[in-house]
Amino acid sequence: MSAIAAATTTLEVRGVTMRFGGVVAVDDVTFSARTAEVLGVMGPNGAGKTTLFNVISGVQRPTSGEVTLGAARLTGRRVEDVAALGVTRTFQTPVMFWGLTVRESVEVALAAREFGGTYPPAPWRELVRCGFGTAGRRREDTALRERADTILAGAGIAAMADRATESLAFGEERLLELARALAASPAVLLLDEPLSGLNPDEIEAVLASIRAARASGVAVLLVEHAVGELLAVADRVVVLDHGRKIAEGTPQAVAVDPLVIDAYIGDALE
Amino acid sequence: MIAQIWQYVLAGIAAGAIYALIAAGFVLIYQVTGMINFAQGEFAMIGAMTASALATGGMPVFEASAIAVVAASAAGALCYLLAIRPARAATGVTLIFITLGLDVALRGLGLLVWGTNPLSLPAFTGGASVNVLGGVLSPQTLWVLLTDVLVFAALYLFFRHTYAGTAVRAAVANPPIASTFGIPLRTFAFWSFVAAAAIGGLGGVVVAPITSATYDMGLTLGLAGFVAAVLGGLDSLPGALVGGFVLGIIEKLAGGLISTGWEQGVGFLILVLVLVLRPQGLLGRAVRRA
Amino acid sequence: MSRVPQAGYGPIALGLVLIVVLLVWVLPSYYTGLLTQIGLYALVTIGLNLFMGYAGQVSLGQAAFVGIGAYTSAALAVKGHVTPWLGMIAGALVAALVAYVLSFIALRLRENLLALATLALGIVINVVFNEWEFIGGSSGFKDIPGFAIGTFAFDQRAYAVLAWALVALGIWFAGNVVRSTFGRTLIAISAGELGAQALAVDSDRLKRQTFVLSAVYAGVAGAVYASSFSYIDPTSFSFLLSVNFVLMSVIGGIRSLWGAVIGAAVVVALGQILQNVVPIVLPSARGDFQQFFLGVILIAMLILLPRGITSRLGEART
Repeated sequence: MSAIAAATTTLEVRGVTMRFGGVVAVDDVTFSARTAEVLGVMGPNGAGKTTLFNVISGVQRPTSGEVTLGAARLTGRRVEDVAALGVTRTFQTPVMFWGLTVRESVEVALAAREFGGTYPPAPWRELVRCGFGTAGRRREDTALRERADTILAGAGIAAMADRATESLAFGEERLLELARALAASPAVLLLDEPLSGLNPDEIEAVLASIRAARASGVAVLLVEHAVGELLAVADRVVVLDHGRKIAEGTPQAVAVDPLVIDAYIGDALE
Repeated sequence: MIAQIWQYVLAGIAAGAIYALIAAGFVLIYQVTGMINFAQGEFAMIGAMTASALATGGMPVFEASAIAVVAASAAGALCYLLAIRPARAATGVTLIFITLGLDVALRGLGLLVWGTNPLSLPAFTGGASVNVLGGVLSPQTLWVLLTDVLVFAALYLFFRHTYAGTAVRAAVANPPIASTFGIPLRTFAFWSFVAAAAIGGLGGVVVAPITSATYDMGLTLGLAGFVAAVLGGLDSLPGALVGGFVLGIIEKLAGGLISTGWEQGVGFLILVLVLVLRPQGLLGRAVRRA
Repeated sequence: MSRVPQAGYGPIALGLVLIVVLLVWVLPSYYTGLLTQIGLYALVTIGLNLFMGYAGQVSLGQAAFVGIGAYTSAALAVKGHVTPWLGMIAGALVAALVAYVLSFIALRLRENLLALATLALGIVINVVFNEWEFIGGSSGFKDIPGFAIGTFAFDQRAYAVLAWALVALGIWFAGNVVRSTFGRTLIAISAGELGAQALAVDSDRLKRQTFVLSAVYAGVAGAVYASSFSYIDPTSFSFLLSVNFVLMSVIGGIRSLWGAVIGAAVVVALGQILQNVVPIVLPSARGDFQQFFLGVILIAMLILLPRGITSRLGEART
């Protein structure tokens, strides 16, 4: 699917700590995610999962520690530069581009990938080409449109292509966000609770997309409260509690790990 | 040379006193609603013009001033009810545009009612200028300073030592709490507009004898007051006081030592610097993400 | 059917120019002057709409860029005897350069603070106009040379046609931008900046480029204004003019290019009507009192019709 994903680049999280004032949201977390695997990230509420995603994707700079993708250092870069290096994410609440149609949203995702790096590719050249409506630029736009249609079809949402994103139901928003993220041909895909709020059919569709992404070489990091689904699709699992990594291993091993059970029950009792 | 500079400083204090009053209005509204009210200066204009028009018609100064403050407060109330409350769901920028519209409309209203000619208001007390360490302050300036003291003291007492004031502070810090007082947040917002307008109107009244009243005084006063508010910290009432005087002094020094044109410009340069380097101003805490 | 319009901006714009050409042969010169004014304002507002409506930002200082274009062209023409044709390009370039530099300061800020920063910068630039003796200080420039083609010196009619030709060009270019990938990513960053950034869209760069583009539009308009009016001074480019541009933008429809034209036309036309009608009813009215009505209209529009007039004309796609 993408040149980056084809190579065996690994996402490495090393000693990442995130401190907000007196609160330690993420505490010295280290793990790695390999090509073509689904890494589940589990933990009770407040365990630091979303903060971890924020650090990896560049939304927040960690207090200490670093994140690398292959040879490239991710920490300290802007969100768009991290994305350009091949890390895409979805959000707990889907971010929609109101004012665009479903197809156009996917075209945005394709835009940067088209040129490599971030969009706009070369300063001013893109604006000038778009403004003068050069034939070359228009051909590229048509190609983008066609590719967007292909992606929508692959995601099973081709029927939605012309709908305004404002009109989408929550489940449809999730599916679009996922299709968008995959359209960017990432090497690493961070999914933040992609199943919450979905009906069973939609859940199946998302799981199918996750498996397909893995098959094409993407390293998928999956945060999900639906523990059953997460354990079923993940190859490995990392468990966080109060910001610290308390377990790592196969789903089967983690499911019976007394520390993990303790963390969840402890949370239920609190 | 020193005497010159001291006179500029005194002039700055005189100007700063009025900026502090306008700034207080900005801060009041910003603290309660998170909104920047570009029309703040126009309340001063309304106060100044109403008082001057009435006084020119024969009314005694203090009576005219009192009516003028009431008029400005009424304008504040109307602005809130007609323009702000109906736009509840608006995003931050839309609210700015609305207050810009209010600013434009109120100034236009001034033109409709009073035309372009300046009006004057007699000074509250006559008498010669007061000598301060070799520089001079006019008696009216002392009235402005007195007004500052009274207004800021009143605000301080209200917010720190009254039940209502504490309720406002709590509601501002934590909006859902407002309902426990049985008062909707809108009511706080309404009264903040009325109070800001009253303070602005009062400011206009006390400054009118010094600068005379014109329909466009609201723009210059408003912009200056607003720079002072940001400089001091948009969420800090003491900041409005400090910001007002600091701005006034820097302005007059720039005006005297560089050129009169830069008197206006230096304030906005300062504004840009503050926004970029220290958005919370001198005394503010974090900038509220409106 | 795409929500970003497929409308043929080009043909309609050309049609508009033809209409203007017809009008100027028929109308008295006062109205021709108004046509020119509307055209130049529309040009500025098109650029502003790209920045505010599509990129989702705010500028309360656009008049400063108009002034930069005007002063650059005027200075070159008066002091350097450079033809205003080149002056127009120079004005656009200088405005673009200033916008580029300022963008590093201002565009880091969001919403409210960005509005304040652009307001402040606009005023500071105005003060520079007022204080810089080389460009005339508070007296400004007078007897600015006009445009000419060969021996034909532009009269009011020619300026009207020029202004609207520029509007046509401006709408054509902006329309292309809006319908292209660039335009779509602009809408994306205005609707969900973080989401777009997570897709490798460089929102800083997009905002900067749009800001500079809006300055180009303003600069060109300023240069033409300088020559058509043959006199400029700092008061022509005040904060009040910046507010008026925002007015035109909102009234016409902030995310609409035709809206820019409509907004400019409404504000100017309404102003004219009010100036003539109101003093009959209220003799005390003086000066720019029509601003009262325009302010009220702005507020009413923001509350009732936030997407402007064009959203009602079935151009919700724009």
